[in-house]
Amino acid sequence: MDKKHDHRAMFSSERGHDGLVERSRRIKMAAEMGLARSSRGRHWSRALHRRLLRRKGATRGGSCGCKDEALTSSKAVEELGVGENEDDAVEVEARVHALQRLVPGGEELSVERLFEETADYIEALQGQVSAMRALACLLDELERDKRVMGG
Amino acid sequence: MENERFFGVNWQSMDARMPPEMNSGAAAADQLPNSFLNLGWEQPMHHDAHFESALSSLVSSPSSNTPAGNDSVIIGELIGRLGSICNSGEVSPPSRYQSANNSCYSTPLNSPPKLNLSSMDHQQQGRGGVPVPGNQMAAGNFSPFAADPGFAERAARFSCFGARGYAGLGGQFGLPEAGKLSRVSSCQSLKAVLMGASDNGKEVPVLEPERPETETRSKFGGEAEFGNSQEASSVSDRVTAVGAENNARKRKAASKGKAKGAPLSSSNKNPPKPSDGENSDAKRCKPAETDGADKDAAVKPKTEEKGDVGRKQGEEGNAKPPEPPKDYIHVRARRGQATDSHSLAERVRREKISERMKLLQDLVPGCNKVTGKALMLDEIINYVQSLQRQVEFLSMKLAALNPQLDFNMEALLPKDVSLCILFNPLGQLPQQVYPLDMASTAFSYAQQPQGTPLQSIVTNSLDVQGSLNPLESSLRRPPTMQLPRLDGFADATSQLGNLWEDDLQYVVQMGLGQSQGTAFSSQSMPVE
Repeated sequence: MDKKHDHRAMFSSERGHDGLVERSRRIKMAAEMGLARSSRGRHWSRALHRRLLRRKGATRGGSCGCKDEALTSSKAVEELGVGENEDDAVEVEARVHALQRLVPGGEELSVERLFEETADYIEALQGQVSAMRALACLLDELERDKRVMGG
Repeated sequence: MENERFFGVNWQSMDARMPPEMNSGAAAADQLPNSFLNLGWEQPMHHDAHFESALSSLVSSPSSNTPAGNDSVIIGELIGRLGSICNSGEVSPPSRYQSANNSCYSTPLNSPPKLNLSSMDHQQQGRGGVPVPGNQMAAGNFSPFAADPGFAERAARFSCFGARGYAGLGGQFGLPEAGKLSRVSSCQSLKAVLMGASDNGKEVPVLEPERPETETRSKFGGEAEFGNSQEASSVSDRVTAVGAENNARKRKAASKGKAKGAPLSSSNKNPPKPSDGENSDAKRCKPAETDGADKDAAVKPKTEEKGDVGRKQGEEGNAKPPEPPKDYIHVRARRGQATDSHSLAERVRREKISERMKLLQDLVPGCNKVTGKALMLDEIINYVQSLQRQVEFLSMKLAALNPQLDFNMEALLPKDVSLCILFNPLGQLPQQVYPLDMASTAFSYAQQPQGTPLQSIVTNSLDVQGSLNPLESSLRRPPTMQLPRLDGFADATSQLGNLWEDDLQYVVQMGLGQSQGTAFSSQSMPVE
C-alpha cells in the first residue's frame, strides 16, 4: 500500500534512522510470520506465508495472489444478490475487490469464501495487534525500569 | 402441483421426524399409515435403503407425476446420504462459525437449526428436492437434533398439525432454539398456501394427528438439512428470540394434544372441506400467529433485507400456483420467487453470503448500525485496513522502543518453527520477551561472583566476550525459561552449541554485532 511506503519514507527521513525502518519492517514480517504460522489451516494464512517467503527468498515485489480472479468477477457480485440496481452492484463489487486485495490470498476466493477468510483474518489480526501492544507495553516497562535502576 | 407439495410436506415431515424417530423407533411409523416418507424415517440415518423404499412408495402412491417421482427418489437418496453424513458427525462448519462468531453462533447447534427453520419458512412448500447446499452443516445439524432428547416430546406437543401439516409444522418451531421467526412465518405462510391451494391441500391434511409430531420433527430436521447459509438464521437470531417462547407456548396451548388434531385431520381429510381444515389450522396457528404477528412484521423487514425474500405471506398465497418441481437442492423457493434450479442455487448462495456477512458484522465493531451490503463492506474494509495499519504502527513502535529488538530474516524460515513464534497471539509472547530481560539480568549476574552455572560459563569463557555469555545463556533459556544447571550443562553443550547459533541469531541481536560470532564459538568450547 502506498500509505505504508510513505510512512516509512517519512520516518526514515525524519529520523535519519534507517535502521528503524528496516527493523520495523523485519519486526512486522516476524509478526506476520507468526500470524501465518499460528493459523495454519487457513487459506489466508497460507497465502500470507507464501508471500512472506517469497519476499524473503527472492525479492519479487508486488502482491502474490493475483492468481485467478475469474472466480470473483461479476458473478460474485451477482451472488451477493445485489439486485437493487446497477450502481449498487458496481459499488459492492468494487468493495469486494478491495477486500480481496486486503485479505492475503483473497483474489482467488469466491465471495462467500472470501467472507469466511476475512472473518478469520480479522480475528487473527486482532490477536496480533493485542499481542504486539502487550509486547510494546512490556518493553516499555522494561525500559523504564532499566532507566530507573540504571539511572 | 400437489404432488410436489405433497412430497415436500413429506419431505419436511420426514426430516423433522428423523431425529425423534430415531429415539422413538417404530412407534411413529405406525402412526403414519399413509404412505408418507415418514415411514422411511424410522431409521432415517441408518437405513438409507429403507428410507428410499419408503420414499419411493410414498412417491408412487400419491403422485402420478413421474417427474415428481424422480425427484423424490433423488430426494430420498439425498436424505439418506445426509443421514449418513450426519451420522459421521460432521460439525466442522458449525464449529467454524462458532469460533468465528461467538455472539451469533455461540451454539452451533442452535444456529444451524435456526437457519434451517427459517429457510423452511421462506420456502414454503419445500420441494424437498434440493440438495443441501451446506451439506456438511446440515449433517452437523442432524446430530444435535438426534441428540435432543426433548425433541420428540416437544414435537409431540405441537399437534397443531391436525389438518394441515404445514400449520402444524409452523407450530413445531416452538423449539426455543429453532427459528421462531420461521415458526410464525411458516404458520402463516402455510395457511396462506393452504388457502390458496385448496385443491392441493386435500392431500396435505391427510396427515394423521400423530403426524404433527413427526412432521414437526421432520420439518425441523428437514430444515436442519437446509443450507446453513439460510439467511433467516441471523434474522431469527435477532427477532425470533423475542417471541419464540411466547409462540412456543401458544402453539402448545393451541395445539393442545392430538385430540384437536384428530378431529381436524379427519375433517381435513375430507377433500370437500379444505377450507374448514384451513380454518381450523388458521385457528390453531392464530394464537401463535397473533403472538408472532407483530414479530412477523418485525421479522419480515429483516428477512426481506436479506435481499429478495419478499415473503408475501397470505397476499400472494391464493394466487400462487403450485411450484414446479425443483432440482434436488434442498432449498425451498420463496413465495413470489422464481423456482428454477438456477435461481434456487443463486438464492442459496446469496443466503450463504448474507449469513457470512452477518458473521463479519458481528466481528467488526460498530457494524450493527449499518445496513446495506455496500456500507457494511465498507466498514469491514476499513476495519481490516485499520488493523493492518495498527500492526505496522506497532511494529514501528517496537522498533523505536527497543533498539536492540531485531529479527534475522533467515532464521524466520520454516525450518525453525518453534523459534519463530514471537508474535504468536496464543500467549507465548512473554517467553520471547524474556531474552531481552534475561540478557540484562544475566549481565548483572556475571558481574557478581556467584556459584551459579551461569557464572561458571562466564568465567570459563573469554573475558572479552564475557558480556556475551550471560546474554547467550539467557537467550538459550527461552525454551526452558530456567537457568541452565551446570551439571546438565556439559551434557547439553553439544546440542546447545548448535542451538545457540540459531537462538542467538534469530531471537535477538543485542546490538553486540560482530563479537557475537566469536564469542559464540569461543563459548561453546570452554563450556564443554
